[in-house]
Amino acid sequence: MIVIRCPYCQQDRHEEELGYGGEAELLRPPEPDAVSDEAWADYLYFRNNTKGLYQEQWCCASGCGQWFKVARDTVSHNVVEVVRFDQKLATAGKAQ
Amino acid sequence: MTGFRLSSGGHVDRAKQIGFSFNGRQMTGFAGDTLASALLANGVRTLARSFKYHRPRGIHAAGVEDPNAMLAVQDGYGYDPAIRAGQVRLVEGLQSKSVTGWPSPDFDIVAPFTAAAARFMSAGFYYKTLKWPNWSWYEEAIRRAAGFGSPNQVKQNRVRLHRHDSCDVLIIGAGPAGLAAADALSGFELDVVLADDAMRPGGSLQWEKAEIDGQPGHAWAAAVVSRLQAAGGRYLPASFVTGAYEGNFFTLLQSFHDDSGVAGECLWKLHAGRVVFATGAVDRPLVFQNNDRPGVMLSSSARRFIGEYGVAPGRQPLVYCADDSGYLSALAMTEAGLQAPIVVDTRAEPPATCVKAARAQGVSVHFGYQIADVLGGKYVRGVKLAAADGRITTLACDLVAVAGGVTPLVHLAAHRGTRPVYDAEVAAFLCPQLPDGWVGAGAVTGVRTLARALEQGVTAAATISRGKTAVPACNVEISPAGGEPLWRSSVGKPAKMFVDLQNDVKVSDVALAAQENYSSVEHLKRYTTLGMGTDQGRTSNINGLAILAAQTGRKMDEVGTTTFRPPYTATRMHAIAHNRQQDGYAPRRLMPAHNDHIVLRARFDDFGWERPDWYACNGPDREAAITAEMNAVRTAVAVFDASPLGKIEVSGPDARGFLNRFYVSNIAGLKPGCIRYSVMLREDGIIFDDGVLACIDDGLFLAGPTSGNAEVVAAWLEKWRQTEWPDLKVAISPVTSNWAVIALAGPRARDLLSRLEPDFDISAVAFAHMHLRQGQVSGVPARVARVSFTGELQYEISVPARYGAALLQKALDIGKELDALPIGMEAWLRLRLEKGYLHLGSDTSGRTTPLDIGMGGIVSKKALDFIGKRSLSLPFNRAEDREQLVGLRPLSGRIEIGGRIMAPGETSVPCKTVGNVTSACDSPSAGNIAMALIEGGAKRMGETVRIYADGKVTEAEICSPVFVDPDNERLHL
Repeated sequence: MIVIRCPYCQQDRHEEELGYGGEAELLRPPEPDAVSDEAWADYLYFRNNTKGLYQEQWCCASGCGQWFKVARDTVSHNVVEVVRFDQKLATAGKAQ
Repeated sequence: MTGFRLSSGGHVDRAKQIGFSFNGRQMTGFAGDTLASALLANGVRTLARSFKYHRPRGIHAAGVEDPNAMLAVQDGYGYDPAIRAGQVRLVEGLQSKSVTGWPSPDFDIVAPFTAAAARFMSAGFYYKTLKWPNWSWYEEAIRRAAGFGSPNQVKQNRVRLHRHDSCDVLIIGAGPAGLAAADALSGFELDVVLADDAMRPGGSLQWEKAEIDGQPGHAWAAAVVSRLQAAGGRYLPASFVTGAYEGNFFTLLQSFHDDSGVAGECLWKLHAGRVVFATGAVDRPLVFQNNDRPGVMLSSSARRFIGEYGVAPGRQPLVYCADDSGYLSALAMTEAGLQAPIVVDTRAEPPATCVKAARAQGVSVHFGYQIADVLGGKYVRGVKLAAADGRITTLACDLVAVAGGVTPLVHLAAHRGTRPVYDAEVAAFLCPQLPDGWVGAGAVTGVRTLARALEQGVTAAATISRGKTAVPACNVEISPAGGEPLWRSSVGKPAKMFVDLQNDVKVSDVALAAQENYSSVEHLKRYTTLGMGTDQGRTSNINGLAILAAQTGRKMDEVGTTTFRPPYTATRMHAIAHNRQQDGYAPRRLMPAHNDHIVLRARFDDFGWERPDWYACNGPDREAAITAEMNAVRTAVAVFDASPLGKIEVSGPDARGFLNRFYVSNIAGLKPGCIRYSVMLREDGIIFDDGVLACIDDGLFLAGPTSGNAEVVAAWLEKWRQTEWPDLKVAISPVTSNWAVIALAGPRARDLLSRLEPDFDISAVAFAHMHLRQGQVSGVPARVARVSFTGELQYEISVPARYGAALLQKALDIGKELDALPIGMEAWLRLRLEKGYLHLGSDTSGRTTPLDIGMGGIVSKKALDFIGKRSLSLPFNRAEDREQLVGLRPLSGRIEIGGRIMAPGETSVPCKTVGNVTSACDSPSAGNIAMALIEGGAKRMGETVRIYADGKVTEAEICSPVFVDPDNERLHL
């Protein structure tokens, strides 16, 4: 069971109380009409699937309702870092 | 083997006699017995027949490691179709029954046939036979022959609980090591949970002869538990830790017992800061010819029956061992007053201390012999021994207690991914590397003596508390140090040497698997089914893989163990489901006027909320009532409870700009008091919500998602606000259940509304279609929307939920003069189908875009970006042959929902299909009508299509989906 401390309401929450939002730091193209079909499809469908430290977003769904960011090891499920949504994770930044 | 009750000894309460039955025979036992010990005490020998060969089976072990004693048991609270006798606490009135062997396990009709056919029924035989003409011809008979319990209709009365909890230290196992750890942790202000699967603490101290701190072992155990509880610690007996998960979470299955049986179970999800892993070990049997006969039993179980229950498993015992622990059984038997057992040790030079202690009690010891065969058809009558030089001796006996070695129970550590590693000195698989925060103690780490177990328990506690405590002193007769593994007898027929007793897997099957190249241990398991029974191979896995290793010339570590997964032991599905059943499964959501609907004889259905499907007050049956309700809407007025409609208030200076990023329609110009129908898309362009949006004023909008989407849309809006546009000044407030909604639909709707005393002008000119008004209705605050789902003049009156029931009642009472009827969901949905209004999820699939439902014009008029817009210009979303929503009229036969549209030119199935019928009904005004998603449908108006449904082919014509009032005149009355 993954347990994460919500950085907003400061409560330790079991994964059953949280919502999962997939990979974090995805950039929605600010001018969708200016990007190619391939680039748009990339944004729609392609995600990193890292074995190891991964940046992702979670929602305190049964608590305060805030979205926040987590760096988690996808193999051991160890939660390494948790930040508020307006902050950036220091762990496992993307190669680009 | 004929078991009997010893005249003294054991921890049963001889003052409390308990009556129970087995296969219809009345028997008695004592309080404190298990069903297994009581059956043994009553001389029961054969309990079952093995599942493939129907060989007789008796009690092989005292606890859950027994592969044989699966019985159907009924106690005061419920029925278990197959549970191990050693797991069942004896209670008054318990009924138990064999589940294999017909007419009885003693005399089984099938046995002679399977005995003759056995050589054709080796491992995996069903992969090579029983194929012609059809496997399912054989399946029924095979299932019946295999047995293993049938369900009955008795309802369970067990209490089902669940619990989330946490503790500082979880001690798994209340044997000597776990207890020593628990005792050593007291005084350090730690929250300790001590869990053990037995009813009484002490583990093996319940039956082994030992003294700890000057007291008998079991008394010391009870004292430790008292001390623990006095200090505020928690002791959970009858509780299995069934799974170990990341974050040091554990599932724990606690059961509650009383004098009527298993009163309930509680499934825990327990988080532990630190873990003392003290699960102990289980005996490993020896493998020899006919070792499955009733009367062959684990040596530790034999002395457990004697020591814990005061039951002797036989009168003429023989101990067969490759391990020192066999001598403990020999001593226990003589001390219990049994005829002095014979000890047959496979080793040429067993430890002198053990031999000396045994001989001192009159036990005769033979070393360097192996059992060549077991004599006796239905139960043990004797054994044939083979000396190293081949000489055969025959000995009479009725009990063979086998001690091949020990298997540490490392399963929980393996659940976390630690690979068990073979330790040649201990001749067992150990987990030297435990997960973070765990420390091992006792037999699970491979230690064999009581002194070492106690020492490790204290050390484990010290690692956690960082304190220092003394190790309790102990005293035992002999200390088993180890053994020399003999994985299988070297004399005898491999086809008669059983490795897995539950699944009838023999040594010859392991050889067969290796020969057919199923040489990975995982393949061995699945090909032969070794270890796949309810005992999970607890007494068979290691022997099996050792034999495989020898067969394929590999070392134990090269073969390895199979992967251990939760649950550690069989768990009732009831316990896993706990109270998430019936009303506990999902909360029933009731509308404010629920009781009024009951009075109107509504027939409810689950639409996410409990809503009337139709009203029995409107007609003698469903179709008649629905027709009456539909006619009321088309000719008079009907009253509909629309309370579950989604309502989300979006407010703030940026509300309009925010919402415009979601809706397909451009709402820049949506004026206060106006309403627009639109759809919302996912980023890939697929429609996921349709509904109306009302502008109350420039800083307040009311979004109306479809009833089923109310929570989803609110969460969606909130997610985008937080993660993409946090700088926008907008607030999102879901208010779906704050407002009850009563809809009035029909040409007389305005008349009815006026009689409900709105305090604003509702004339056609002042209050046009697709507008919203706020004020009071019947003296309570109201928002009235003039929108229509039926194609008739319609008003939706929203009032605070506490007035919903009163408003419904008043509308129906006043409406009587206007021939008003209450209307249910089915009629409501058929009316919208008559108008071609889509029903999200029925007429849209997971691939439908707004371009597929005719909203292309609206999309093209919106220059601003919205979620999903860019995807609509991707090539696959612009393709000509996409499925598009159209109407259908029958030409022959009747159109049914779900019918597949056959490709043009096809006349019979199987064939290519190009769509399906998404909605269909019989309309009083328009006859049989339908909507369908058909490839390129928009360009095929007027064409005939064939539809395949339920074995029949019918013909229909593609048409506009608007079947009633195509010019929408009635909307604007």
